[in-house]
This record gives sequence, C-alpha cells and structure tokens, in this order.
Amino acid sequence: MSDRTTTPNEAAAETVRSRPRRPWRPRAGVTPEQAFRFSPRTMGTAVGLFAIGYLVLAFQMPDYTAVSVPVQPSTLPRWLGVVLLVLAVLLFFQRAPVDEAAAADSTSTDGTSTDADPAQDAARLGRLADPRLEIGLFVGALVAYVALFEPLGFVLATALYLGSMTWYLGYRRHLVTATVALSLPFALYAAMTWGLGVVLPSGPLPF
Amino acid sequence: MGMLDQLLHGFSIALTPQNLLFVLIGVLAGTVIGILPGLGPMSAIALMIPIAYGMEPTSAIIMLAGVYYGAIFGGSTSSILLNAPGVAGTVATSFDGYPMALRGRAGKALAIAAISSFVGGTIGVVGLMAIAPGLASFAVSFGPTEYFALMVLGLTAVVSLGGNNLVKGLISAVVGVMTALVGIDSQTAIVRYTFDLPELYEGVEFLIVALGVFALAEVLVMLNRRGQGGARKGVTSLRLSGRELGRIAPPTLRSSVLGFFTGVLPGAGATVASFLSYSMEKKIARDGDTFGQGNPKGVAAPEAANNAAAVGSFVPLMTLGVPGSGTTAILLGALLVLGVTPGPTMLADNPDMFWGVVASMYVGSVVLLVLNLPLIPVFAKVLNTPRAVLVPLVVVFCVVGVYGLSFSVFDLGLLAAFGAVGFLMRRNGFPAAPLILGLILGGLMETNMRRALQISGGDWGVFASEPISAGLLAVALLSLLPALVRAVRGLRRGRVGPSSPEAATDAGAVPDGGSEDQAPTPRG
Repeated sequence: MSDRTTTPNEAAAETVRSRPRRPWRPRAGVTPEQAFRFSPRTMGTAVGLFAIGYLVLAFQMPDYTAVSVPVQPSTLPRWLGVVLLVLAVLLFFQRAPVDEAAAADSTSTDGTSTDADPAQDAARLGRLADPRLEIGLFVGALVAYVALFEPLGFVLATALYLGSMTWYLGYRRHLVTATVALSLPFALYAAMTWGLGVVLPSGPLPF
Repeated sequence: MGMLDQLLHGFSIALTPQNLLFVLIGVLAGTVIGILPGLGPMSAIALMIPIAYGMEPTSAIIMLAGVYYGAIFGGSTSSILLNAPGVAGTVATSFDGYPMALRGRAGKALAIAAISSFVGGTIGVVGLMAIAPGLASFAVSFGPTEYFALMVLGLTAVVSLGGNNLVKGLISAVVGVMTALVGIDSQTAIVRYTFDLPELYEGVEFLIVALGVFALAEVLVMLNRRGQGGARKGVTSLRLSGRELGRIAPPTLRSSVLGFFTGVLPGAGATVASFLSYSMEKKIARDGDTFGQGNPKGVAAPEAANNAAAVGSFVPLMTLGVPGSGTTAILLGALLVLGVTPGPTMLADNPDMFWGVVASMYVGSVVLLVLNLPLIPVFAKVLNTPRAVLVPLVVVFCVVGVYGLSFSVFDLGLLAAFGAVGFLMRRNGFPAAPLILGLILGGLMETNMRRALQISGGDWGVFASEPISAGLLAVALLSLLPALVRAVRGLRRGRVGPSSPEAATDAGAVPDGGSEDQAPTPRG
C-alpha cells in the first residue's frame, strides 16, 4: 500500500531535507506516463457516444415558428454533431503506437533526469502509489472545497483546503503552511470584499 | 502637419503631473491584477471603474487605458510563468512562453514579452493616429456577411494550433463551438443544451473554461507527474543578445501591423490577432517546427499582436462609438458613466480627449517598459514557490476568479468539470487551444451567419458574392489546404505501415506539451 511508513516522524527529523530521495517507483503497475492514457479505440468510442447524444438532443430541439427564419437554432448543432461523429470515426481508426512510443520515450528520460537534478522542491507530490487514485483524491478534495464554499464561508473553507492540501502534498515546513493557510484566505477576503466590493461568502464568521 | 500639432497638444495634456500619475497608477494596477490568473483586462477595468468615477473624464479614460494594456502585459506574465492565461488574448503567448520558462529561460521570455509588447503598442498608436478616420469608415461598411467570413478565417487558425494530430485538434475545436452554443439562443430565445438548469441559460462563461482547461488541468498534470519532470531552473538573465533581438525583430514588426488591423475590426480583437499572428509566424519562420517548444518568435509574435490590437480596438470605440471587444465595451460603459459619448463627433467636439488619450498611450507604453523590465525578477519569484504550495494556491485563485465573476457555486462545479476534461485532453494529446478558439468564435460566427442569411433571405450564395467576404473565405480555404493534404497523406501512410519508423519519429516529440510541431522533418 505505502512505502512511506515513516511519514509521521518526518516532521521531527532534522535531516529530512538533506536525505537523498529515491526515484519514485510505482508499485501498482501504473506509471504516471500510463495513467489516463487511452487507446484511439476507446477515445473514438467515447467521442462518438458523446456526438450521438448531442445529435439526439439536437433533433429533439424545437423549431422556431413564430417568424420564418432561414437558419433554425438547431441547424448548427445538427451539423456540429455530424462533424463530430465523423471525426470520432477517424479517431477510432487511428494508429495507436504514437502514444506508446511517446510514453516509452518520456519514461526512459524520466528515470535519469529526475535523479540528476534533485532540486530542493523536487520532492514528489502526494503519497499514494497509484497516480490515478492520487488524481481522484485531488479532484475529490476540490469538490469538497466547492461544496463547503458557501456553508463554511470563503475564509474557513479556503484555510481548511489550503492547509490540508499543502500538508498532504508533502510540504514539510508546517509553520509556513499554517501561516499561509491562515493569513492568505483572510487577506484575499479583505481585498475582495472591502477593497473591490466583490462579496465572498462569509459563512459563520461574524464579518 | 495639423496632426503633429494635435499630437503635441495631446502630449501637453498627457504629460501634466496629474495625468502622468494616473497613467502610472493605471499601468501598475493593471499589471498586478492581470498577473493573477483569472483576472483579465475586463475584470481589471471593471474593478477600477469605481475609482475612476468622479475623476475628470479625460484623466479617467487615460487611467483606464493604462489599466487595459497593463493587464494585458500582466496576463502574459502569468501565461509564461504559470501556463495560466487569465485572458484569451495571452493564450497564444503561453504556447512558447511556458516551454521557455520550463527550460530556465523565463527571464528572456518575459523580456521578449515586454519589448515586443512595447513595439506592438507603439506601432498600434502610430496606426491609430494615422488611419483612424479612414479605416473606421471602411470597417463600418462591414456587415454580418463579412463578419462571418472573418470568424471562419479566425477558426482556421485551429489547423496550425492543432499539433501533429489534425483530427484531435478538430474534435477540440468542434467541442469548443458546442460549448459556445449552450444557453438561450439570442435570436429565437430557444434554450439549447441547458438540461433545464437555470444556471446554464446565460451560457458558459469563457473564464470558467479557460481556467479549467489551462490552469486546473496544468495543476493536475503537475500532480500526475508527481511534481517531477520539466524541472524548473530559476530565472536566468533577462538580457537579450543583439542576435536574439535581431531574430525577433521581423516577427514583432509584422505581428504589430497585423495585430493593429485585426484589432480595428470589431469583434476580432486581441485574441484573434494573437492567434492569427502566431500561426502566420509559424508558417513563415524557417524554424517553424520548433514553435510550441519554446521558440522566442512564438512569444514575440502574439505579444506584439495583442498589444497592437488592444490599441487598434480603440479606433472603432473612439471614432464610431462602437466597442470592438468585450474590454472596449466595458470602457464604453465607463465613458458613458462619466458623461462622455464617444462617436464620430468626438474628434471634432472633444479633441482634447481624443489626442490626450493617444498621447497617453505613448506615455503608457514607455511606462510599461520602464516599470516592467526592472520588476521582472520580482514577478519571476512566483517560480520559486514549492510545488506543494503552488498547487493548492492556483486552485484557490481559480475558485476566487470564477466566484468573483458569477457568485455561483454551480460555476465552481463547472470549473472542476472543465479541469478534469482539460486534464484528460492533455494526457491524450488533444490540444486545448482550439477548444478556446471555438468557444470564443463559435457564438459570434453563428450569430453573424444567421444575420447575414436573414438579410439575404436564406441565400447562402451571399457569402461568395460579396467581394470582401469572398476574399476572406478564399484566404481561409487557402490556409487550410496544405494541412489537409498533409493529413490525408499521413492517414494513408499510417494505414499502409502501422508501425513504420515514421510513426516512431512522429511520436518522439512531446509527452503532453500544449502544441506539438506538425512536421517531424529535421530542421533545414
């Protein structure tokens, strides 16, 4: 599951930043280069289904009959749907090796180049082994942030989001994280609400 | 001669300490607001209107004009450093500016942007002064037929933006046009693709899509790479060698002229200008296949064009009272609030204002250059932010930008959705730029097409029989031809040998960069 069981103790460790990092090796069999890449077949099918759905809606669209018009509101959507369908078919029959070669190419350079250039912030983001789960988690956090935006108010929701995400993504100077997470939402709120008259939701806070 | 006197009179207005201060404030505020991803010239001007209210009208428009070009420059800064263009006009800048930044040449990219913006702005002002009256009377004869042809020409830029896979580029553009059609149809009030959601009746705001498919998708790609790859080196020197200046000079000059004329035409504006000049330079340049990988010319061309176009869009505003773009529409609103009605009579009735604004644009260009070149290292500090901090921050800025525009949580959901779509597109080699282009031009194209057909009584021949429209359409067709031939050839070759060596070289390019080169042929 995780190759980073020492995580909780890292904050205390003095030598964390100087410790050489191992290049990241996936355990789940999905490399970042492979994640979210699909074959032309899959993509063509997906785009084609979308085009068919779009066309069905286009043909259900009512015509405008009050005054005679040369171009109905549904005319352009119908043509767009047809064009997209044709493009989907073309995509379906495209050759696949393009992506694989690109992936292989970037994998081979990745392994060498990342090790050669260990910048202080080149620490890998996130904690999960499978990049697909990581992306899912990130999008989930974004959705949660959006959902809490109005109930909690801008300041609280943003502080919560900034703090937890920065910590989760692996930034270790927790004092900086806390300062940014607490001061920035307030500064933005003040600038937007009182400076520019753009009212952000205040939530339970009294201002 | 009379014009020179007028201009000198204009300078005497623009160079009063008070107006000089307002130019300075405007340019600085515009740059700072423009740097924030998501806040473009439109929001910048809208935000500054309350401050301009109560000022003397000439000073007010001088300041607001300063905000306008300051915001455009600020937008290119965030395009180059973050790949997060908040403004459509600077999308094209990110194609080469961001790769340059990734290669540690952010300083040079920003310096090129500043210099070519300055050149574009200056040439634009000269053009504004020289041919405002004549050209405006030509453009006023443009009807919907000509506008439709102009939009079609703009859309053909998709081909050069589409990377090495024409089908994917076209799919992206079609989806962009589809997105533009969502909402209440402006001519018949029939709702299209709103799924009975009242939030969609007004259509999908451009900013949401742009922030989603560019900024959010960029963050997701960063996360997927685990923050590795494309390692950033700090900003190196800003200094450009004489040779580099020599290389970017011709594209800058050409694009300035092209940008100015595009900006003069209402509805076209900075965005179309930057895309047009980018694809033009890509075709002209001998090293055109390195566009999209950090070619300095790819930064200089759109930067010069969008600044020249920003100035050019003042021509119809000041001489006809017709706003040429969304931004000038807001400016027009501001002028009306201040009690000034721009129009054909303004040159005669209120020459102080016209020539004062023209002169202040010269001053503004100089201020922009003097202010921004020294401040570039400060702007570039953004690059030193650790990824783990940067990623959530970009998300927060996107959220604030979208929410500040519409006050709608629904739009935030839309933002997340477009972010996910943009990420999937990037991972699978779909270019995002055609989607944006389709979104911006799609609605305008349909409106003008229907108006033209309404006038002609449903006769489609009108687009070919009107000389200007026929000419524009012919140019559009010609610019499509080479790419189509290449695509057909590529398709055949692919069928014959699915794993031919060419396929491998084709793919060797960029794993998920924005736009790849079209021709995999070696240089020379």
